[in-house]
Amino acid sequence: MRPLTVDSVDARADSEIPWLTDLRRQGLEAFQRLPMPTSVEEEWRYIDLDFDLADLGLADKPGAPMTPGPYDVDGLGRATIVDGSVVVVEPADGITISRIADADPLLLAGAADAAIPADLDRFSAASYGFGGDGLMVHAAQGSVASGPVVVDVQAVTPGTLSLPRIVLVAERQSELSVIILYRSPDEGVFHVVPHLQATVGDNARLKLTTVQAWGTDTTAIGQQRVVLGRDAHLHHGEAGIGAALGRLHFFVDIDGPGAHSEITGLYFGEADQVLDYRAFINHRAPHTTSNMFLKGAVEDASHSVFTGLIRIEAEAQRVNAYQTNRNLVLSDEAGAESVPNLEILANDVKCGHASTVGPLDADQRYYLMSRGLDRLHADRLQVRGFFEEAIARLPHQQLADPIRAAVNEKYVRAQDEGRT
Amino acid sequence: MSLALEVRNLRASIGSIEILRGLDLEVGFGELHVLMGPNGSGKSTLCHALMGKPGYSTTGSALVAGRELLGEDVETRARMGLSEAFQYPTEIPGITLRDLFEELADQRDDGDAIRARVSEAADRLDATRFLDRPVNGGLSGGEKKRSEIFQLAVLAPSVAVLDEIDSGLDVDAVREVAEAVERMRGPDIGVLLITHYNRILQYLKPDRVHVMVAGAIVQSGGPELAEELEERGYTDLVAEFGGPTPDAGEDDFLAGL
Ligand SMILES: Nc1ncnc2c1ncn2[C@@H]1O[C@H](COP(=O)(O)OP(=O)(O)OP(=O)(O)O)[C@@H](O)[C@H]1O
Ligand SMILES: [Mg+2]
Repeated sequence: MRPLTVDSVDARADSEIPWLTDLRRQGLEAFQRLPMPTSVEEEWRYIDLDFDLADLGLADKPGAPMTPGPYDVDGLGRATIVDGSVVVVEPADGITISRIADADPLLLAGAADAAIPADLDRFSAASYGFGGDGLMVHAAQGSVASGPVVVDVQAVTPGTLSLPRIVLVAERQSELSVIILYRSPDEGVFHVVPHLQATVGDNARLKLTTVQAWGTDTTAIGQQRVVLGRDAHLHHGEAGIGAALGRLHFFVDIDGPGAHSEITGLYFGEADQVLDYRAFINHRAPHTTSNMFLKGAVEDASHSVFTGLIRIEAEAQRVNAYQTNRNLVLSDEAGAESVPNLEILANDVKCGHASTVGPLDADQRYYLMSRGLDRLHADRLQVRGFFEEAIARLPHQQLADPIRAAVNEKYVRAQDEGRT
Repeated sequence: MSLALEVRNLRASIGSIEILRGLDLEVGFGELHVLMGPNGSGKSTLCHALMGKPGYSTTGSALVAGRELLGEDVETRARMGLSEAFQYPTEIPGITLRDLFEELADQRDDGDAIRARVSEAADRLDATRFLDRPVNGGLSGGEKKRSEIFQLAVLAPSVAVLDEIDSGLDVDAVREVAEAVERMRGPDIGVLLITHYNRILQYLKPDRVHVMVAGAIVQSGGPELAEELEERGYTDLVAEFGGPTPDAGEDDFLAGL
């Protein structure tokens, strides 16, 4: 295992791209300086980390990839990242899929503005400082892909930290569709810090679904940033299913007038899982719209956190922004935090948020039982219906069935074992 | 032979408020009874007390086909043959009527019979359009009532209690819903229809009409009683038997609307 020390940095990963080289330097510097975050910090409220990145090491070489799982869907192009290293790249017509180190620097020119700050926290610093060869997916100006690029991100060597990095670029007027599947085995302890950044150019569209199907002992601290240009369109779906601690800290910067961000997510926690979502939606241009719709359930002793901030800058007039977070708490020991926030500096905007945390609805249960369903099946139906609203809005409907099956199975299993 | 529904001295309260105050009612198989009464007199409470809605405490007796309902959970009462069309049906987001019937058919031994009744009733009641919509989700007031009737046709109960299924319906819909009720009738079912209006009774031939005031049935008669009530209203009966609830203030009265 390679420790996170400056002399362990892999020269292979050094790129010809000046801004990335800068970020690596900044990352190494910030990693020396920044401590592990604690729950005292607002962005880490409710979360207790019980490890230090400095005690972890990277795999010497990527392990053997996992066999296909339930979320494996057909893609136009594919890439596999194992233990933080890009191991397979299957190109697609009209889309460039490559290691960042091999990429034409010109194709990455537009990506600099969407970089996640290296000093965001110790995790981001580690990603830049020690991350391996990242993956780039690039749609050329005006190109329209006929199917999704599937990126299979795996952590497979137990006891290691992996730092997968993905850069998406949808040039002007292009349409890019990407599915990212994050996974690791249930056996073995894994730590992963996935970095994902996306640039959506003027009039371009990005369809992006991320599925967190991590194994039960995986800690995943994900960071994600999307920057939208003029009249750009983001349709993002997220499913949080696996992981011991699954965190997604994400930023959508709506920089171009007329741009729209649509985010739909769902999560289901069981056992002592912690699922943690920190959303920052920044409207920085007029006539922009955003909508976020997140639904989650927690059972056993699991916990979920949603903190969302919609920030509307003074110059961003005529903005329409909405955020909804609904949580089902299915057992006494489970808990859900839901903290939506608005920060509005402009005066001509329409903005709102809705947030609920509560048990299954007694009236729905009564109604369903009055039709002859027993309580278990009535509740099952209600849980299914609860998630259905989110599933129906996911950008890649080919993932609807496996995601539906995964969340419903979690609940049925808990019922069968008398845990709810 | 037992009656379809036999209610004896039924009392029901929510918290410390007693709403049903010793109610007696008999509906035989093959019969259609109509229950009328002023707002807040306890008609919907009777429905929920019979169905076993949590939060209602009950004493007395309520038999469906000779079997005691009280004390059983909601699902068991449904299986014992009681089905109700609710005055305010609950929305079940994300679940279609088809999902609900599928789940029910999967659970039941007579699943195939349920599936057969789904397609038969959907055709007959022109209700196919409800099958793939979320249960009561985004349905108009009238559509909800028709969806309730459709469900009852599928459930094929021994006792059907229909709570204001004619409220909020347009003229044609009232006739259609009445026809659906008429077709539901048969030797194996007793029907209790709760209504405020004579309109639906133009199309139905009730065996008995009952008037409920302040949580008890205070008068019963033939179909002519409904017409009589239309003319004279409830004022006399309320004066004689009490208000909507014991010492009901205006707040209680409004809550009953
Ligand atoms: N959950 C409740 N908590 C307190 N009081 C209630 C509750 N539900 C009903 N009531 C009261 O019980 C009384 C009877 O209500 P119910 O809904 O049964 O009347 P109803 O006869 O069906 O009236 P309507 O004709 O308006 O439908 C009313 O006074 C009402 O305010
Ligand atoms: Mg009523």
